[in-house]
Amino acid sequence: MNTAVALLSFIIFLPALAAIVVAFLPKDKPEAAKLFTLFVTLVVFGVTLWVAIPRDPASDSLHFALGQPDMQLSVGLPWIEAFRIEYLLGLDGISFPLVLLTAFITLLSMWTSWNITKYVKAYCVLFLILETGMLGVFIALDFFLFYVFWEVMLLPMYFLIGVWGGPRREYAAIKFFLYTLLGSVFMLIAILMLYFSSDLRQLATEKNVALFAAAHPHLSNDAGKDADGQPLDSPLMQKFKEVQASEHPWHTFNILALQQIGQHTNDAEWLERLRAGGYDGDKHPFDEAVFLGKSVQWWAFVLLFIGFAIKVPSVPLHTWLPDAHVEAPTPISMILAGVLLKMGGYGILRICYPICPAAGYELAWAVCGVGVVSMVYGAFAALAQKDFKRLVAYSSVSHMGYVVLGLGVWSATQANGFNPYYWEQGVTGAMFQMIAHGISSPGMFFLVGVVYDRVHHRNLDEFGGLFGRMPLYSGLAIVIFFAGLGLPGLCGFIGEVLVTLSAWNFSKVLAVISAGVVILTAAYILWTIQRVYLGPEYKGPHGDHLTPITPREVAIVAPLVVTSIVLGVYPPAMLDYLKPSVDKTVVELATWTKDVQPYIGLDEEQMEEAQEEEKAKTAALLP
Amino acid sequence: MQGLADILPILLGAAWLLPLVSFVVIVFLGPRLGKAGVLAGYVASGAILGSFVLSAVAMLLWLGHHWPAGTHHEAHGAESHAADEHHAAGDSPKRARLQAVAFAADDAAPATHAADEHAAGADHGLADEHAERPAYAGTWYTMASFGPLELSVGYYIDALTVAMFTMVSLIATCIHFYATGYMHDELHDVTDHEVRMSDGRHLHRPGRYYRFFQYLSLFCFSMLGLVVSGNVFMVFMFWELVGICSYFLIGFYIERKSASTAANKAFIVNRVGDFGMIIGLMALWGSLGTLAFGDLPVVAGGKGDNSTATKAVRPGIFSLVRPAENHHALTTPDGMVRSAAAAAGVTDNAAAAEAGVVNDWRQQGLGYGLLVVAGLGIFCGCVGKSAQFPLHVWLPDAMEGPTPVSALVHSATMVAAGVYLVGRFYPVFTPEVLLVIAYTGGITLLMAATIAITATDIKRVLAYSTVSQLGYMMLALGAGGWLAGMLHLFTHAFFKSLLFLCSGSVIHAVHTNDMRQMGGLRSKMPYTAYTMLVGCLAIAGAGIPFLIGFSGYYSKDAIIAQLISFRNHNSGFHGVLFYVAAAGAATTAFYMFRLWYLTFAGRPRDHERYHHAHESPKVMYVPLMILATLAIVAAWTLPGTSLSLANVLEQARPAGEHGAGRWWTALVVPAEHLSHLGAVHVEATLIATIVAIAGFTLATVMYGLGVLNPDDVRQQFPRTYAFLRDKWYFDELYDYAFVRPTMLVSRLVAGFDKRWIDGFIDSLARWTRGLANIDDTIDRYLVDGLINRLADWTYGFGLYLRNVQTGRLREYVMLIAVGTVALFVLATFAVGLVLAG
Repeated sequence: MNTAVALLSFIIFLPALAAIVVAFLPKDKPEAAKLFTLFVTLVVFGVTLWVAIPRDPASDSLHFALGQPDMQLSVGLPWIEAFRIEYLLGLDGISFPLVLLTAFITLLSMWTSWNITKYVKAYCVLFLILETGMLGVFIALDFFLFYVFWEVMLLPMYFLIGVWGGPRREYAAIKFFLYTLLGSVFMLIAILMLYFSSDLRQLATEKNVALFAAAHPHLSNDAGKDADGQPLDSPLMQKFKEVQASEHPWHTFNILALQQIGQHTNDAEWLERLRAGGYDGDKHPFDEAVFLGKSVQWWAFVLLFIGFAIKVPSVPLHTWLPDAHVEAPTPISMILAGVLLKMGGYGILRICYPICPAAGYELAWAVCGVGVVSMVYGAFAALAQKDFKRLVAYSSVSHMGYVVLGLGVWSATQANGFNPYYWEQGVTGAMFQMIAHGISSPGMFFLVGVVYDRVHHRNLDEFGGLFGRMPLYSGLAIVIFFAGLGLPGLCGFIGEVLVTLSAWNFSKVLAVISAGVVILTAAYILWTIQRVYLGPEYKGPHGDHLTPITPREVAIVAPLVVTSIVLGVYPPAMLDYLKPSVDKTVVELATWTKDVQPYIGLDEEQMEEAQEEEKAKTAALLP
Repeated sequence: MQGLADILPILLGAAWLLPLVSFVVIVFLGPRLGKAGVLAGYVASGAILGSFVLSAVAMLLWLGHHWPAGTHHEAHGAESHAADEHHAAGDSPKRARLQAVAFAADDAAPATHAADEHAAGADHGLADEHAERPAYAGTWYTMASFGPLELSVGYYIDALTVAMFTMVSLIATCIHFYATGYMHDELHDVTDHEVRMSDGRHLHRPGRYYRFFQYLSLFCFSMLGLVVSGNVFMVFMFWELVGICSYFLIGFYIERKSASTAANKAFIVNRVGDFGMIIGLMALWGSLGTLAFGDLPVVAGGKGDNSTATKAVRPGIFSLVRPAENHHALTTPDGMVRSAAAAAGVTDNAAAAEAGVVNDWRQQGLGYGLLVVAGLGIFCGCVGKSAQFPLHVWLPDAMEGPTPVSALVHSATMVAAGVYLVGRFYPVFTPEVLLVIAYTGGITLLMAATIAITATDIKRVLAYSTVSQLGYMMLALGAGGWLAGMLHLFTHAFFKSLLFLCSGSVIHAVHTNDMRQMGGLRSKMPYTAYTMLVGCLAIAGAGIPFLIGFSGYYSKDAIIAQLISFRNHNSGFHGVLFYVAAAGAATTAFYMFRLWYLTFAGRPRDHERYHHAHESPKVMYVPLMILATLAIVAAWTLPGTSLSLANVLEQARPAGEHGAGRWWTALVVPAEHLSHLGAVHVEATLIATIVAIAGFTLATVMYGLGVLNPDDVRQQFPRTYAFLRDKWYFDELYDYAFVRPTMLVSRLVAGFDKRWIDGFIDSLARWTRGLANIDDTIDRYLVDGLINRLADWTYGFGLYLRNVQTGRLREYVMLIAVGTVALFVLATFAVGLVLAG
């Protein structure tokens, strides 16, 4: 337990500590600061990779066990006791691949930062704080802690774009900041709404003891014995009893507890219990109407979704992205595309759906619609771009649309017999697409950066002939761009095809539209390749600066190329990590759809009637 | 039997992966392979030769286990043959027939299983049940699985697979060796005369010999992967991969704008087809939960499960759509019925579990629409890949690639993949879908043939000819002629690759594609001329009626016979398909001999080019001779045996007939053996021969003998000529109908982003700033203003008071005195007032 605390805290806070060290490094040695920062990112990546290597759990508990759907390495320490805010961390198949991706992309991005010459020390400090924020977002399991990390990541990003960016950097940085801040404010409102509606006592009943345990994976249920040999209460049971005995509602920020409360406590029996405890409503507190006749969870879902959709980014909340990408320096673009966008998808999967299933069920169409609109809109917009980086940015909008669609294809409905498999496929596809996009998109930005460093422009009409001038570079670029195009054998294909195929059972219309995007994607990627790499000669300025790609640049892009091929040819390499947890999440929601959803919004009598009806229906079918 | 199930996947798997090895080697070593990468050619050729050897071994093993049955060209062949077959199978358990499921890790079970099933099949007494249809399906590895849903890389090996492997690797081997000669210019620096730089010079660049073979190897790998695929998902993957190889190869001369544009066009138009294909995949996947062709063993309970006699089998698409218990009749699978019911909102899932309900729904036709959507969707992909109307526009442009590519990718193999997939997917197509396929093929056939008449670029004639011949195959398949279509796929592959390689040899000699600058080359390059003549005869379907002929004679005959049969079974308009086919046959003969005469006969029209022309090196014309031999004999029956391509393919004939449509009950897709009936057969042979002779004669009259001047004909029909020369204006139409609107929408979207969304955000920012300014103004002038004013007043008053403080005693005394008096007066006044009040 303690070692897990140390391990996860080490992963999260090593960069922050290193930032302090960098701040004290002598100012006249920028190379030292860069080298040190690179070393730190390498250590972080090394540690996460070490955690990822499958081992025998008996010999070594400090690793991520495959095939295990629950939270692993989870730890919890009291932090701000007055509000029951905890230092709650953990990894599962949904967060761990993203942590791995973060460490990987941060490492490559730092190495890309070699060209940074302005205020190097400050750059390194902010870069390291950014890494802490990003890792923290994926590892934190306490909603408040999550929010803190979310904000920690925001500020360094603002400065990294605003100080080290291109000509319109201030505009882009402020736009990025305000957009994200708006999302943060919405998120904060939602967090507080959920916090004050929650009551951990709802889980602390004999019937729900398993749910209580699931919400506290960091508490051991091993009962020790006291000095007299009398069995002691396990830490879990201690907490259980403490909560049970509480006279006042026990609000919680624990994301896992909120998930359990959101999904499992909406039956008549539960309401009865709640009333016995002095609660005078006739609904689950998350279902209580708060504003315009919509429930707490409806509003929480909408506010959270807007916050996350800004990050994804989904149309129409996406316009910060092209500006931020165009102005940000190459390494920061890589982080933006590779990691920051993933936080949106992660948040929707980890928070929106499991905590607010009723709202998610009601709004599934809206979510999927947003996804499909983003796919189509982003692809069309990409087709019209003249700026290389803007084009890649819009391709991100389009590709991340697949993620939103995949997360939302709630096909486990009664008509399909609550069959969760297609939805599992969609969510798995979305997760895979996040990883795949996290590989291909930073690669694309890096490759744009390589030519930008040489000729200092990004006008698509003023390239051409790069294949002749920089053959190795062009070869690598074509692989990465084809990964973005969704070519089989490369990583982009798997995510896209899983999502698209899964959409059919949710909505045939959306599925057909999403399938049509493959044409547009091919069009803008191939047209770009033609304009930049093919053709007889380079048409822009500074043609004599087009020197072959350097070994450092090859070393940065080669791992991305290799990863995209490995993931494309053998997707289980990643699916083995993420599938158990994704499956569990989806199966739980499918079970919720079956057991709880039909009774939402019914009062006690109606609910009983509905249950009777259901029983009669089943009985009639039996011989 | 069991041995075959084990060894075939290994053999074909190795044959499939060898070119990949070659690709990887060339990627990493490329230019270091000998001087300027000259060894790359041998690496790639060696790899594909290895593939061919492995495929040939597989073929021989296959024949050893499944010797093809007697000829089907005899009347009533199917029935009598089936009876024979039954006895043969009964005699020798080792040669047990019927669809066998391969269990890779199994010993004896499948043999008995198959034999049992055979015995059961004997009771039905249906001809179809007895047809030899061995197939081996299995999984190599799983890419992703979700509960029972599984996307995997696997194989489905039947006679068609093995034959395709042999054909593809054989042609590819010939073309690889040919290309080592054809591409030798790329071994040193190249001056590309088609590319002019901004300074007016021609492009000068290093050769890319090794890269050509790198792409070819990748293509072979992808193509063989497509053929071996055990499920539609894998087909789709390799479908895209062959597409991207084709993209690379069309755009091989990357400096030429026309080449890279043609490459883009090819890939994007194919993606339009793939869009439909994805919809088909979704319809299948969403309702059936499997994309596998054949039945696959369920690996439940781990590996120790092998001993159990009864094997759990997960039915593939074929078994679902053509269940054996329903005599392989087209049946809407349960999954589709339920899925459609769910969509219609009539479902109660628990009730659906009762088979009776599902059957009722099936009777009502629920789910049939899904089956149609699946079939049409898959066919859409084939339309793109096989360049069928309306997605044919990319193929002629694809001739921008080097000629060996045109021969391999754009005539013999990749473009035939669409036809192959239609053949593979045949059991799933409903009669309605088949009709769509037939008409698509018919339109394509006629359209492309007419364009070929006017083309002057030798490769474009062949390209349109390819489109037209692919249309032939689709037409045959759509009319129910599975074997006819498949046979034509094979024979066409041989003679069309031959024709392309010959044209390459000519281009190599005269350095132009324009037939108007050729002529009389026969004396200069006899090998090329006469092998090409063989190709022309083969494609025209030349032969001595009822006796013997070139390979095309057999396949074209079979197609026309099937169309006659189709016409006989369907009254009314559908008979037009037969006339289309006949007209197409005549046109084919015409434009092919036109090509031959223009190139090889007559007098040279460009003396300089003629003067420089020479026969190609041996490494180029030996492949021509091999292919010419194949173009003659490919469809022959080995004398004294029943071994022929048709009979081998017959083993892969999909189970079950199509019969009448459900939506269009008047539509009947006749069984193919009906086209072997004497009357039909004779009529077909005669018609095919007559139209071919007609076409040949016209070409000879116009171009061979010069009796009729083509220019006069052209002037007679200027409109028609322009219409054909401009390729029916498809490119222009698509440009206006699709490309421009797409670009317009994309600009609108980008503009919407800038103007509206960003405009909104920016105006929000402006409003906020404006508000802040107002706030600032209020602060500054009202709130602060008031305070300041007050302060000013106080200050001013203070200043004023300061004047009083002068420091002169006299004034102070005076002030005090005046003040006292004033106070006194005031006080008195006030007291008076108070008292008065």
